[in-house]
Amino acid sequence: MTPFGQNVRALVQVWLGLMLSTSLALDTDQPNKHWAFQDVGSIEIPRLRGPSRARTAVDNFILARLQQAGLALAREADDLTLARRAWLDLIGLSPAPEDLKKFVEEIRSSGDRDKAYEHLVDQLLASPYFGERWGRHWLDAVGYVDVWGADETASAIRLAPGRWRYRDYVINAFNDDKPYDLFLREQIAGDEMVDWREAELFTPEIQEKLVATGFLRLAIDDTDQDVLNIPSNRYATLFDTMEIFGSSVLGLTLQCARCHSHKYDPIPQKDYYELMSFFTPALNPEKWVPFNHRVLSDIPPKIKEANDRFNESIDGQIKKLESDLGEINTRYDREKIFAAKLASLKLPESLVADTKAAVQAPVEKRNEIQKYLAGKFEAALQVRPEDTQPSAEDRRRKEILESRVAGFKSQRKVWGFIQAFYDTGEPPTNHVLVRGNFDQPGARVDPGFLTALTSGTPAPRIPSASALGRTSGRRLALADWLTQPGTPAGALIARVHVNRIWQHLFGRGIVETPGNLGRSGMAPTHPELLEWLASDFLQSGWRTKPVIRRIMLSSVYRQSSRRSDAITEAGVDPLTVDTENRLLWRMPLRRLESEIIRDSILRVSGHLDIRLGGEPVAIMMQPGGKMVVTNEEAAPNTGSFRRSVYVLGRRNYNAWILSVFDQPVVTTTCPSRLSSAVALQSLTLLNDPFLVQQARFLAERICVEAGADDDKRIEAAFWIAWGRPPTSQEKVWSSELIEKQTSTQIAGAKTPAQAGLDSYQHLCQMLLNASRFLYVE
Amino acid sequence: MKIDAGRSLSEFRGAPCSRREMLARSGMGFGGMALSYMLQRDRLLGGASKVAAGPSLDSRPPQFAGKARAVIQLVQTGGPSQMDLFDRKPELQRRHGQVYEVKAESFQKGSEENKLLGAHHAFRRYGKCGLELSVLLPHLGSIIDDVCLVRSMVSAHNNHTEAILMLSNGKIFPGRPTFGAWISYGLGTENQNLPAFVVLRDPDGYATSGGFMSQSGWLPALYGGTEFNTRGIAIHNLQPPPGVSAPSRKSDLDFLAKLNESHRQDYPENSELETRIRNYELAARMQLNAENVLDFTEETRATRALYGLDNSDPKTASYALRCLMARRLVEAGVRFVQVFVGDGQPWDHHANINGGLVEMCGRSDQPSAALIKDLKSRGLLDSTIVMWAGEFGRLPVSQGGSGRDHNKFAGSLWLAGGGLRQGYAHGATDDFGYKAVDKTVTVTDLFATVLHQMGIDHQRLTYPHAGRAESVTDAPVTGARVHFEMVA
Repeated sequence: MTPFGQNVRALVQVWLGLMLSTSLALDTDQPNKHWAFQDVGSIEIPRLRGPSRARTAVDNFILARLQQAGLALAREADDLTLARRAWLDLIGLSPAPEDLKKFVEEIRSSGDRDKAYEHLVDQLLASPYFGERWGRHWLDAVGYVDVWGADETASAIRLAPGRWRYRDYVINAFNDDKPYDLFLREQIAGDEMVDWREAELFTPEIQEKLVATGFLRLAIDDTDQDVLNIPSNRYATLFDTMEIFGSSVLGLTLQCARCHSHKYDPIPQKDYYELMSFFTPALNPEKWVPFNHRVLSDIPPKIKEANDRFNESIDGQIKKLESDLGEINTRYDREKIFAAKLASLKLPESLVADTKAAVQAPVEKRNEIQKYLAGKFEAALQVRPEDTQPSAEDRRRKEILESRVAGFKSQRKVWGFIQAFYDTGEPPTNHVLVRGNFDQPGARVDPGFLTALTSGTPAPRIPSASALGRTSGRRLALADWLTQPGTPAGALIARVHVNRIWQHLFGRGIVETPGNLGRSGMAPTHPELLEWLASDFLQSGWRTKPVIRRIMLSSVYRQSSRRSDAITEAGVDPLTVDTENRLLWRMPLRRLESEIIRDSILRVSGHLDIRLGGEPVAIMMQPGGKMVVTNEEAAPNTGSFRRSVYVLGRRNYNAWILSVFDQPVVTTTCPSRLSSAVALQSLTLLNDPFLVQQARFLAERICVEAGADDDKRIEAAFWIAWGRPPTSQEKVWSSELIEKQTSTQIAGAKTPAQAGLDSYQHLCQMLLNASRFLYVE
Repeated sequence: MKIDAGRSLSEFRGAPCSRREMLARSGMGFGGMALSYMLQRDRLLGGASKVAAGPSLDSRPPQFAGKARAVIQLVQTGGPSQMDLFDRKPELQRRHGQVYEVKAESFQKGSEENKLLGAHHAFRRYGKCGLELSVLLPHLGSIIDDVCLVRSMVSAHNNHTEAILMLSNGKIFPGRPTFGAWISYGLGTENQNLPAFVVLRDPDGYATSGGFMSQSGWLPALYGGTEFNTRGIAIHNLQPPPGVSAPSRKSDLDFLAKLNESHRQDYPENSELETRIRNYELAARMQLNAENVLDFTEETRATRALYGLDNSDPKTASYALRCLMARRLVEAGVRFVQVFVGDGQPWDHHANINGGLVEMCGRSDQPSAALIKDLKSRGLLDSTIVMWAGEFGRLPVSQGGSGRDHNKFAGSLWLAGGGLRQGYAHGATDDFGYKAVDKTVTVTDLFATVLHQMGIDHQRLTYPHAGRAESVTDAPVTGARVHFEMVA
């Protein structure tokens, strides 16, 4: 029994015919019966007519719908296309030619294409770069940025200390395939799962749990500035936190219920404030703790206190030593010596300044009076080189003092920071806010779960008995409630997650509004598939990788994206039946996201820096106003060629190479990326110094790897940049380009070798400009 | 490097335009194939308006003969004080210091005493029409006979973020297409060498919500605002890298066109790939033309003086440059130009309003009025609408003795050009300027009226979204209407 019953057929008609985008028509009368608010039932895998290309259950759902519409899957994608797709989707990097050749060789030698492909998928799933790719998706969903506050001033980057640890936590969680229920529990209530306040030591476990709560610290918060530390802003931060939580975890637009009961979803205004009450012990508008005072040290409070005392005494020592040092230095300071000599002349007060000016003026610019004064006093005032040389004794003393200062400094205790979320005091009394206005409190409310998701299920106790340490335990209770399988809440969050997985593999979720599975969101294209995936996900212990694997091993994922590979059955052109390819009669063509474009450029140029984790890579604003990743040549080892997930993320001013390719402006969350095609992208790919530099690297790489032969060089360029050999036509075009560019370059008085390299630079840059590079087929 | 209006932008080679499609990417974004999807829906469901079938910036005729063909929006964030500048209130002056019997709805703390605060600066009559304005606005006074003043503006929210969003898209939420995007969608643009919708912000930073004021929302991305920089380099990456000659570039582009065309043939129905191919042509045209449009060397000394480009206050000179750039862009055929008076919310005078207004009028008055004079002298004012507006007004009571808090119930703004009524004041507030009481103008009313002057019926410029035929004014919900009294 599905929650949709006979509506499935109606849905097909809706999608194929009118392309209506809301599900309002389906269950207008009974909001509580909306499919997303039900528990996952057991879903029968559709049986298919006749022989089929089904490989996994996923295919049965897709094929059943295609069959209904008289359509079929497109032909299988070729080996190289499929491998490049898998690489880009799973780890976000273009495959190297040797990786591809290995894959093709494995197919050839084993004779088992399926097995070789399965092997490839497993290898990629196990790669440490998997977390960088899939962690980024979650970071989008929660609106991760490295800065705090609204980030409105271009030139001022306010880095939230230690926030990057949350980014690394997310990446690690995906790499480790941390069960999603635990992943959410840690993010919502990690601080209540360990007694960090009384801990003697912050074990890796305690650190991880605290870091995870950084999730709830992502909302805009400028209350460190006194003028902005006002109730409206405090509430704004609280409301934004609710919105981030609602969109990323629940897949609901909770914010609508802030001012009035939700227009579409069964969320009364009271529910909103009851849910908000889980967060107010930590974000208490009455006893507000400004953003900068919430940051935790990554050591226990008691140790931090001891450290602070220790450092204070060390600093006292250092200060004393530095003052002794200063005294010595003063003795040999040119200015000071001069001043002393001037004083020793015992000139009348009125002459002192004039004498100083006269002596310091350049000889040729002195006036008559200055000449006189200089003539009279210059010799006596001269600071001789030996005056500024410390005596042997003082040199020795300085060395000792300096080494002692350095010694003390090295003893100073240092530690890092965690942007953690924790209760800052006793829970306040909470009220419904009339029309969402903080200064119009209405009825009193206590913490409570969304009624739409609790009907018929026993709710866990609030507060949670299992919370550790001096904390209300409210968020742990919330996490317990959310992550319970067999409940509507557990089912909803599972759907939200598997829908996102689908979105990242097909460019569009089964529900196209991944941050809104409510009644105002889009209707699912394949409702039963979504149910089945959610149920499978729950049964496999909330693990993400098996879901990805299952989808990727299916025939639907492995089909070609090209028009000519689509199959026309019984004279029915799928494009006319299902123009938008909602039934997936071919693989969608997808433009790479901003980070993947940059990362892949670096990867093919051979300069990608694959170091994992750590502080964000700096970005800077050029005088012309362009934001750039710090230049590797200007500042070596700054990590400027590291993956984009590590590049400092801002709300409004991201590195140009990323923002021009739709890196989002983040106010709260980014449930899905936009893929635009505008002229500024073309200008950037043609003219940006980063592209020119990387094309140069790629050309150098090709000329070294492929030797002097033009055919081999062209071959290598296509293999590296596009993951396949050039077609014969492309070879001809390339040779023509090389010929033209070489003659242009030689005409411009370059040596033949130089001209050759330059020509390949042009070829390489155009390969990186090409749609074949920018899209995953 | 700083753009000096006295020099040509072509001196600043080696780089670049900024665009701000990134603005379009708030949480309300779409998945991969959104563009072609939209295109298709557009075709299938059809709009009542005469909008081209696919996303395109080709210029298209309005629904009926309209006076205006371009809009310049002068965004005055912060909430300029109506009773100090545009809306003289003798009763307020008379009762200065007394407790106001109506409890004024404040946003922040500090207005609890509810004591009336009169205008500090005097008013005088200007022009033949004799409309009264503050003495702080002599430049506006000098063009008042061309101006349609609105004294009855209201907003739906008394916080900046929401009210500014409303000023840009008609509602207090982000994610909807902005006014400029709707106009680009409706009419395309007249110069295919430049974007349809250009944004000129303060180079020191965005205005509050500024990033969201020019997004295309769920309209196709090409209708969103493209940001041109007004300091440093106007368009990032506009010029080829050093050493790349024209013939060399041409060889590259010919080669690339072949590659992209063969890729496109695998996806013949995909309009995004076609757009990408065309973008390389647009990029080449921009490279040749954009700098001419932004080349200020041909501006006369008199024009520089008119705008105040050499004003000793850098903020004033900076806004003057943006106003001048707006005129040049409109002259070149750009459909919608959005100019910000400053970063943040500079008209937000919670304290020391008297001093604050001197400063802000000093910054805004001369360049704004100069734009009207300049457009008029070039014969462009009849076909261009200039909108000068903040997001709300201010309270008649004092905040902390010397300032005023936000007021969503009343505010003033002005429009000029495009066949709007001249030397006219529309609407009125109560005796204290607290609430608009006559001919109340909402933001969507304002949009409806401006669209009407462009030959567009606001109810018929629609786009299918989430199962609805959406419009910028959402008249069925907001009740937006054209104010025909504002039309000449």
